[in-house]
Amino acid sequence: MTMTRRELLIAGAAVAAGVSVTTPFFRPRYRIHRRLRRSRVALLRLEDYSRPIDELLFHGLALFPIKVQAKTVLLKPNLVDYIPGNAINTDPRLVVAAAEAFRRLGARSVVAAEGPGHQRDTQLVLSESRYEQELRLHSIPFIDLNRDELFRVPMGASYTDLESLWLPRTVLGSSFIVSMPKVKAHHWSGVSLSMKNMFGVVPGNRYGWPKNILHWRGIHESILDVCATVPIHFVIADAVIAMEGNGPLNGRPRPLRTVVLADDPVAADATCARLMGFEPDRIPHLHEASHFLGNSSPDLIDQVGEVLRRPEVPFQVVPEFQHIRAI
Amino acid sequence: MSVENTRAEICQILIERQLPSGGWPALASSPQTALEATVYSMLALGPEHEDEYGRALRCVLDCQNPNGSWPSFIGDDPEGAWTTALVLIALAENFKDVRRRHKGFQWLLQSAGKESSWLWRWKFRTTDRQVRFDSRKFGWPWQPDTNSWVVPTAFAILALDHLPPSWAKEHSGFRLQRGTEMLLDRVCPGGGWNAGNGVVYGTALAPHPDDTAVALLALKNRADESVAVGRSLEWLMDSALRISAPWSLAWSALALAAYGRCLNRLLSSLAEQVRAIDIPDTATLAVVALALDSERSLRLLRVKL
Repeated sequence: MTMTRRELLIAGAAVAAGVSVTTPFFRPRYRIHRRLRRSRVALLRLEDYSRPIDELLFHGLALFPIKVQAKTVLLKPNLVDYIPGNAINTDPRLVVAAAEAFRRLGARSVVAAEGPGHQRDTQLVLSESRYEQELRLHSIPFIDLNRDELFRVPMGASYTDLESLWLPRTVLGSSFIVSMPKVKAHHWSGVSLSMKNMFGVVPGNRYGWPKNILHWRGIHESILDVCATVPIHFVIADAVIAMEGNGPLNGRPRPLRTVVLADDPVAADATCARLMGFEPDRIPHLHEASHFLGNSSPDLIDQVGEVLRRPEVPFQVVPEFQHIRAI
Repeated sequence: MSVENTRAEICQILIERQLPSGGWPALASSPQTALEATVYSMLALGPEHEDEYGRALRCVLDCQNPNGSWPSFIGDDPEGAWTTALVLIALAENFKDVRRRHKGFQWLLQSAGKESSWLWRWKFRTTDRQVRFDSRKFGWPWQPDTNSWVVPTAFAILALDHLPPSWAKEHSGFRLQRGTEMLLDRVCPGGGWNAGNGVVYGTALAPHPDDTAVALLALKNRADESVAVGRSLEWLMDSALRISAPWSLAWSALALAAYGRCLNRLLSSLAEQVRAIDIPDTATLAVVALALDSERSLRLLRVKL
């Protein structure tokens, strides 16, 4: 078959047009690369919150080559709302134990900070969930990230079309950010783990209650953009009593009796997902994050502490996320 | 210490927290002017604090966006925020600023929850049905391009109640009607409001005292005899004395006062709470001051008593 010069030109133009249209879809949407060569996750057994957590956590942290001397440590618990009997928030005793452990390791300062996404009255959530008393007793300052001073920061990725994000001074000024999620099934994102927990750094004073812009731009996309923009240096996940079903507020408590530590948020979340009986790669933000924010493959995760056991019955989820269950 | 003395002390703290810009920060530690904290502080101090009030007024007027809206804080992007409604409430007494107020009201009337567009309404009615709400009933968002929520809608309704009669158009009546319907639609099944989701995946969500109180204030002038309002008022009455934080307690006291149900016990408890803890949140302090002088505050908000 021969082509005329005219046909060749048309075909060339078509190929060029096709390449220019499709290239952006194949180009990575992230501008940073934080994936470690190997990641480390520790599973610590904790029967209930009344057991001594301080020593458990201090020795757990010793399993990691982390250096926090002279660093400003920000503990970011998951503090959403308060409903008696529902395991919604990271237990305050775990946050206190983490603060004590980082102080013993030589941190210059340790603060707890959160911007609840559902409840405007942060003080009410703090007092009803026993945070106020525990933090005051241990002289741990708390910063309301919904109302902190704000600075505009360019996004580290472009999964949403937001070019920048207003972020709180306390977050930007911290040199070691510890995401401390409550391990939960979530009705919009499948799971709420260390990466989803970072929605709490997005300030309500600017973006509202809930931070609805993140829902409109896509929850998985927003999780990726926020986590690409704000680095998570360490994870301490509360899976002592986790939540299944209609999380983040109205699910059922499900004890896993485990605290998950990790030097990589993707490895932490993938491990938590496995503990919940989910397939991490079926959770869109986790799958995508494994390209640039961390490792989800067990082959790239050094696991220490307790043995990871998948539950016989995976966590319950809302119908839209049945496919993430490993059955 | 009396309730009056506590209020005077709070006003003194507010005066000390006023920024060189004339506005107030959201947190005591911040040098950034936040509009919500500024408006509540202005209302709490009132024109009788001539110097502070005058500086605040200039600050507010200076930071109006070119499109007529107001930002969340000085330095914010210029597309506008829900705080526009708050500023319009605060500016109600300043008729000299007619042009700016008019532009602000125009922006507010154009601002609407994203579900007001037929496309998104269709999406919510067909595919996105996990949250129970009637998408035909829309109000105001926190920021453009997002859904309607309870608090911005309630404040927009209160602001439009300040719309001078000569400016009122058919459109404002329509928006007020839809906004009122939206609030009544989003009420939690047992009464009260939260951010704006009464039922998700078939589960009733719990109401919040502050959201409930703000919604009740907005509905006082328009639907105070509805079943939803009655039930929500009962829920708030029942919850108020157990509230352990001043922000929620102060809003509850204001709302209950609007419906003639304010209890002195509530005000004493509020004054006690404020004295017991250090409050870095300026808006909380200012709202407590407003609650401790509820009659005057409700007049400023134009809530009919």
